[in-house]
Amino acid sequence: MIELRFHRDIYAGESVDEALKVFERFATWEREQTDDAWVVRCTHDDAAREKKVANELANYALGLTIRRGGAT
Amino acid sequence: MSDIPQGLVSFDVGKAAVTMNVDADVYPLQALYGAAFIFIDRCYVFIDKPAQGQFRVTLGARGTVEDEEALRRLVGEFANELLTCAWRHQITQDNRMLIEAVTMQAIGGAAGSPSLDDLANFDFSDDAFEDPLGIAQSWEEKHGKKAGAGEDAT
Amino acid sequence: MSLAQLSPKVGFPAFFRFREVAGKVVVTNFEGNYLILEKDEFARYVEGRVTPDEPLHARLDAANFLRDTYRITEAAEAVRRRKHFLSYGPILHLMVVTLRCNETCVYCHASRANMDQVDTDMSKETAEKVVDMILDCTNPFVTIEFQGGEPLVNFEVVKHTIEYALRKNETVGKRLEFTMVSNLSLMDEDKLDYLMKHRVQLCTSIDGPEKLHNSQRKLATMDAYQKSAFWMKRINEKYVEAGLDPTLYHVEALLTTTKATLPLYKEIVDTYVSLGCKTIFLRPIDPFGFAERVRLRVEYPRSAYLEFYRNALDYILELNRQGVEILERFAAIFLTKILQGEDPNFLDVRNPAGAGIGQLGYGYDGAVFTCDEGRMLHAMGDDTLRLGHVATHTYRDIVTHETVRAMTLASNLDGQPDCVNCAYQPYCGTIPAHNHKAQGSIFGRMRDNNVCMVHKGIQDYLFEKLADADAQTLKIFERWTTLRPREHFVHDGGDA
Repeated sequence: MIELRFHRDIYAGESVDEALKVFERFATWEREQTDDAWVVRCTHDDAAREKKVANELANYALGLTIRRGGAT
Repeated sequence: MSDIPQGLVSFDVGKAAVTMNVDADVYPLQALYGAAFIFIDRCYVFIDKPAQGQFRVTLGARGTVEDEEALRRLVGEFANELLTCAWRHQITQDNRMLIEAVTMQAIGGAAGSPSLDDLANFDFSDDAFEDPLGIAQSWEEKHGKKAGAGEDAT
Repeated sequence: MSLAQLSPKVGFPAFFRFREVAGKVVVTNFEGNYLILEKDEFARYVEGRVTPDEPLHARLDAANFLRDTYRITEAAEAVRRRKHFLSYGPILHLMVVTLRCNETCVYCHASRANMDQVDTDMSKETAEKVVDMILDCTNPFVTIEFQGGEPLVNFEVVKHTIEYALRKNETVGKRLEFTMVSNLSLMDEDKLDYLMKHRVQLCTSIDGPEKLHNSQRKLATMDAYQKSAFWMKRINEKYVEAGLDPTLYHVEALLTTTKATLPLYKEIVDTYVSLGCKTIFLRPIDPFGFAERVRLRVEYPRSAYLEFYRNALDYILELNRQGVEILERFAAIFLTKILQGEDPNFLDVRNPAGAGIGQLGYGYDGAVFTCDEGRMLHAMGDDTLRLGHVATHTYRDIVTHETVRAMTLASNLDGQPDCVNCAYQPYCGTIPAHNHKAQGSIFGRMRDNNVCMVHKGIQDYLFEKLADADAQTLKIFERWTTLRPREHFVHDGGDA
């Protein structure tokens, strides 16, 4: 399992949600909100694939955040 | 690149990743976004905020890396881009009026006045109109008295 | 007391940028005036120690370099003149009438197709839609440039485009010009008669002497050079027969500078002179359209290019001193800006760049791009600079596209690190398509940017010559900056 902590000051929650929608079918996901982060946990039987999908999701969420002009 | 100050960058060849700490006073988040956006098609970029006034950028190679040198090149390129973005962020604020005037003249000059066809095709529907700053709202809508007890908030 | 009421002391410098060149200092101001100062003069200027009774003060004042006498209206007028091109839309419209080409060039990969790929021909219907969009443009003067591939391969569509455009322009009333970039190997007398009759300006490609040209641009018959040279001569004869001044009307050629070109600077210039060209454009090769393995064969460090450029320019100036009229186009572009305070509107050395607002590229299928490089990127699988399609978008959709806005912003040198402080900023320009391809963003990074290095290197050379102030060289430079419009090629609306 890989845990990604998307800091709320950096990543837009909508962008993380949007990224999760896109990558939903590629792994098993868990999500949680803390005071300062959107937490996403990625699980896949294949460790290499798990890492790749988690990384791609993070890139995607960052790209969407930047496109919308930032986290807020 | 032995000239990277110690503690600023750490390499993990096994994970094919390099982490760089960034001082938010020197590099604003907008600059970090700018540099990150340029790099997301060549590597994995993750930004974190470990403490107030500090960002941490992790760059992950898309495949395996042979040695630390490959990661040094990657983070060095990123640092160059970050510096350029930070400076651009500053000067676009300093020269904002000039840049806006030239851009408006250029696009306005190229586009010209809208024709009747353009106006006929203009989408006046509410759905397509985003108004995040509330410019189209009436004064009452924007600054009207707050909903009190028993009243529905609008 | 407000800042406006502050009265700076006599000799206090106004805003300036500077660069050391050949032991002297080039200073330029906001509106693009320049002075070349000795180092001690520069030091006294910077420190505000120039007194009104010395000649340096008069020089600084005349060029508007002093704060206490700064003439704002004059500066604003100069900037307005330099940026005259902002008032209108694209002047240059590049129309790719086919990707098919009968020549195989070592550096050309993505922007060509084999002769049997007829599906890469533009149709007449698409050509008409392209012309409709071009004539919707806000610029009262437009140039339609036929490109390929090899445009003569799809000559029927070239003819149809010309006739349709002339007919439609009778009511639109623009000043319209047609140019064609062709390798000329498929030219014949009938085609030439048509192109002469319709006043189409012809331009070809010459890579240098016969051996080099034929090794880089391959025809099945291995005589690409001979064919180009034959038709250049024939076209020039036609201009004379038509009573046109041969010093103004003759075929010009474009050079693609590869690694093999660099040591042959003399032979290349001599070849151009022998073919009757009055202009040579020593452009470095673009990073578009060829594969990585080809890059190793044709590419070179920009330092090597600059050495080539300096050698070639020295030789060109020497020939001019001997009475041979040959002009180098890069030098002429920069010198026009430096010496005349005008912008010749060369779209790749402009601030902001011409992508989308000064030029548009039209693919054979009707796709519209910010520039020709955008089309090449598209052919390589990158659609970043694709703006739309002539069948589904209006002219206004195209020029107000977010990519055009982004390109305009990205190539504004007042927002560009390094450029903001560069002495050559008033004369320079960056190429967002190149930045995107080479450095991953349309902004680029000037400190390690090839275009920046080339532009700086060329201007260093020119300012060295200006600092030398050799009377003959200055006279040649003045001639190079005197524009002589080729009115014969211009069709005024209604004269079809």
